[in-house]
Parts: sequence; C-alpha cells; structure tokens
Amino acid sequence: MSAFWYYVFTLVFVMFDYFILAMGLNIQYGETGILNFAYIGFVALGAYVTGASSMPSSAGTGQQYIMGWSVPFPFNLVLGGAAASLLAVFVAVVALRRLRTDYLAVVLISFSLVFYDITNNYVPLFNGADGLYNVPEPLAGLFKLTTNSFVPVFAIVTGLIALIMWWAMSRITNSPLGRTFRAIRDDDGVAAALGKGVFRYQLTSMLIGAFYAGVGGGLLVQFGGSFNTTSWLPAETFVVFAVIIVGGVGNNIGLLVGSLLVETLLIHLPAFLPDIPGHPGLIQYIDTMVVGVLLWVMLWFRPQGVVPERTRKTPLSLLQGLKSDRVVNSEVPAMSMSDGAGVIEEGGVRD
Amino acid sequence: MTSGQIEAPTKGDAEEAALSCQELKKSFLGVAAVTGATFDVPKGMITALIGPNGAGKTTVVNILSGMMKSDSGSMQIGTVDVTNWESHKIARMGLMRTFQLSRELGGLTVLENLLVAPKHQAGESLFNIFLRPGLTKREELENTQRAIEILRTYGLFDLRDNRASELSGGQKKLLEIARAVMAQPKVLLLDEPMAGVNPALIERIGGYILDLKNQGVTVLMVEHNLNVVEKICDHVIVLAEGRTLATGRLSELRANPEVVQAYLGEVINASTTR
Repeated sequence: MSAFWYYVFTLVFVMFDYFILAMGLNIQYGETGILNFAYIGFVALGAYVTGASSMPSSAGTGQQYIMGWSVPFPFNLVLGGAAASLLAVFVAVVALRRLRTDYLAVVLISFSLVFYDITNNYVPLFNGADGLYNVPEPLAGLFKLTTNSFVPVFAIVTGLIALIMWWAMSRITNSPLGRTFRAIRDDDGVAAALGKGVFRYQLTSMLIGAFYAGVGGGLLVQFGGSFNTTSWLPAETFVVFAVIIVGGVGNNIGLLVGSLLVETLLIHLPAFLPDIPGHPGLIQYIDTMVVGVLLWVMLWFRPQGVVPERTRKTPLSLLQGLKSDRVVNSEVPAMSMSDGAGVIEEGGVRD
Repeated sequence: MTSGQIEAPTKGDAEEAALSCQELKKSFLGVAAVTGATFDVPKGMITALIGPNGAGKTTVVNILSGMMKSDSGSMQIGTVDVTNWESHKIARMGLMRTFQLSRELGGLTVLENLLVAPKHQAGESLFNIFLRPGLTKREELENTQRAIEILRTYGLFDLRDNRASELSGGQKKLLEIARAVMAQPKVLLLDEPMAGVNPALIERIGGYILDLKNQGVTVLMVEHNLNVVEKICDHVIVLAEGRTLATGRLSELRANPEVVQAYLGEVINASTTR
C-alpha cells in the first residue's frame, strides 16, 4: 500500500474515532448541558483499560500495569467503555449532586488534573509516564494483517463501530429520554418541577457519554499500539469541544462534520505535511492556533455550528384531518368579566 | 367567617384541603421573606394568593413546589406530609406549577414542551428504548395525540413545531399552563398567570382556569388583578409581610380594615387615580 493510502486511512480512522468521542461529549454537553471539562480523562481511562486488559500479564514485558488478562478485541473495548462509565458514576455522585454549571466545570477540570497526575506518577497502575506500549494489534491474527494492511482494515472496522454507535445514539437522542435530557439542558428547574429527577438523568447521560469516551479511547490505543500521558493532556478536552461546537451541538451529523473539519483536516492532516524549512514543528503550532481562531469565529458568527440542531417536527401521520386551531379558539370558554365584547382573539395570541 | 373579622389562619375544617401549610418560614441571609404562612387550599376550588409586593407570595409558591426549602413549618398535599421534599417528588404527587416569568424550554418545540411533561414515560429508560421499542412508540403516540388536543384547546396548535423560545410573552404564558395541564395535575400553582398579558388574553386564560376547575383540578394562583380574583376565585388568601393576614372571599376581605390597609386600599387608590 502506498504511503498516500496509508495517510488517507489514518485520517479516516481519526475522523470516525473523533466522531465517537464527539457523540459522547455531545450527549453530556450538547443534550444534557453538563459542561464536562474532564472528558479527556474518560477517554484516557478507556484507552488504558482497553490496552491493559488486552495485554498479557505484565511479568517480563518490562512494563508495569494492572489487568493483563489478554482479553480479545472487541471485548477489551467494551471493558474500556465500561470502566469509563464506572468512573462517570463516581464523578457524578461526587460532583454532580451538588454542583451546577461553572462550579461543576471547575471541579471537573481539577478532577482531570488529579487523574492525570495519578496516572503519570503512580507507575504500577498504567506504567506511569511511559504508558502502555506494544499493545497487541486487534484482528491481526484473524485477518493475517501486516503492519501496513492493518491501517485500512482497522479504519474500516472503526467506521463500522462508529456506525453502530451512531445508530444507538440516534435512538437515544430521538427518544423521550433524549427529550428529557434537552429539557434539563434548557432549564433543570423546570424539568424538576415537571417531576423529572434531574440527577438521575444527568447520571444516565454521564454514563452513556463516558462509555462513548472509553470506546473512542480504546480504539485510539488499538490503532496506535501505545498510549501514555502525552496522548491526553487535559487541554485535549477542548479539541473535542471544538469538534462539537464547529460541527453543531446537538446534531449527530454535525458531529461527523466537526470531526472531519477540526480533528481530521485541521489537526491531523497538517501533521503529514512536510516541515517549513528551518522551522520544525511550526505547522503544528500554527495548527492549534487555527483551531482556536476557528472556535472564536464560530462562536461569534455561527454558534449553532455548521449543521445546527434540528427541530423535531410533529409526525405528519398524527396531523391528518386536523385543521388549524383558528377555529378551535372560538370554542374556548371565556371568563365572563367584561361586557363580553372582544373576548376572543382572532387566531394566534401574539401580543 | 363574619364579614370584617380577621379569620385566624388555622387549618380549615369543613372543606377538604388539597394542599395545606402551617407556619412556613424562610429568610435569606437574615432577611425574613416568609414569617409564618399558614393556610389551606380547598380541594376543587380556585384560590387566590394575594398581597403587596414583597409579601412573600412567590417564596411561598417556591416552597410549596419544592424549589426552595423552608427554614421551618410543614406542608401537606392531601394527607401526605411533603415538607421540604425535592421538587420532582412533589411534582410526582400531582402538584404542578408555572412561573412568574415564563420559563419555557426554549430549545424544544412547543409540542415537545408538552411531551416532556407526562410522568414515568417508558421511553425515558434505556432498557425500554432498545428492548421494548413497541411500548415506547405506542406510549409516545398516545402522548402526542393528547398533547395535540391540549395545544388545540390552548390555541397553540399552529405553533407546535416552533421552538418555544420564538413565542411571544402571552404565548409563553399559555404554553406554561398547557405544559402543566399535560402533566395531569391534581393541584396547579399559577404564579401571576395574567401578568403582562393583554386584556383579551386575560379573559381567555381566566376561561382556561375555570375549565380546569370544572375538570376537578385544584388551583392556587398568585394574582394582582382583583377583577380576575373577584370573577374566578372561590377563596382568597392574603399574605402580608410574610405571614397569612386573612382568608376568605374577596367581598368579605374588602371589609377587613387590616387587609384594606395592607393591600386592597393601595390597589383601589391606585386604580382610581389612573
């Protein structure tokens, strides 16, 4: 396979993987309004658990890590997602029960910093700053893959996983559960006044989002074969935020577009470009600035994103035979308090 | 109650109370907002909660709906003590409320605002979404049909697919009431449903409230428009300086010097000087 196709499939993988990550953050932030600034921590835990559970026992590998159960793909990925969800329960119980909005955001940032320091310094957990490496390539034995042919195959597998997860996410966001999430996002006080146990729904949303984060992280470690603390600096959370803000908060298709524009074309594609002579690494720095500027521009001029959240229309099948309510208005029982003249407004009630 | 006499704010006897509270107190950073609210809201009636600005009416409504915790005192829905319950649990007991400043769910459509309201929807559980899709769909269909009926009654049907944030002030007031009705309340707390609303719409909202009463809903409404109170309310509670000053029919309260001094007098004077 030529280098060109190698790059193309790497980008395809990145696009689908960040699509999964964006869906996870979107259900938390875009649908439920939880400003999860610790998102990358859940991605990292998913990556570590996926990697460590798929690796053989750490004895003799020169690395130190927990698990080492040789769990085959994709079960290790499910474990990664589940571990991230478990962490979400802990975080939700500690932080979400009492805190809202900006206070919650600050606590979550500090949580991700604490988690980062622990993984970086406590070596027996996930090999400290060196992180996990030599993580077995999934499906390599099954399809007799070489290092080269692994890239396109795994990019396609990731695409299929993304497709399944997109289907599942659409089921959720289009269900009454998704609607209740959005009600909490718009006004949690009103949602509570309508009988919705806000914490329970926020916890559910955190759980779902963290599962997506964990699976997305797991795919990263399976694709790259290694994962350490340089892969998930806490500021990486904001790249995922950029993906969903540029693409369109609250719209699953927008997330794919955001993932393509921000993560694939702006962040990963330039990494394949040749360096500017005399300025090694400059392109990548410019890159980060471009993402920052793009975020400003979008928030100023198109805060709804490239593909805005759609309004969910009434199913046409329910409207058959129903006329406009202009007729119905005249049947409204009016309170008889004046002389009765001009009691009924014609048509709408815009005042 | 004899006309002109102040009825002691004690628990009601003859009529069954849908909602009652005793000696509710609440202060904010040492400033007392509610200093002893005690009243019964008779079942199946429309009760007005009136009083001068700063009397603590909205604070009382916030406490009754669970959005604020009282410092002391107790409250019951029917016979169940719900003192300082969380608001979603109070809502599940059948007490719904609207807000003084409309709080529509702006990102949702008008129809969706109503569809959020029904309690315990099957489609709010992950298990049902994936494993019992038929049940979820059937319930959603029934709820949508009922929501459409309510929207038609409230004259909001044509706006069903608009985002709620796009509605006018009056339409938002209607939407809030419609949303509360969708939740099939036993007791409905309306916080100034007529505030900032044109006269024709006041007539209509009054009609809707009477209609709800006919359907057996108990209504407690904070209202400043005495004309409305006179026309539709069966019972009036006067709050002043955070405590219950008097209860009774408005005609009786008009003859009560304390009530006149605290509230009615000012209003009547204000309206005659207009």
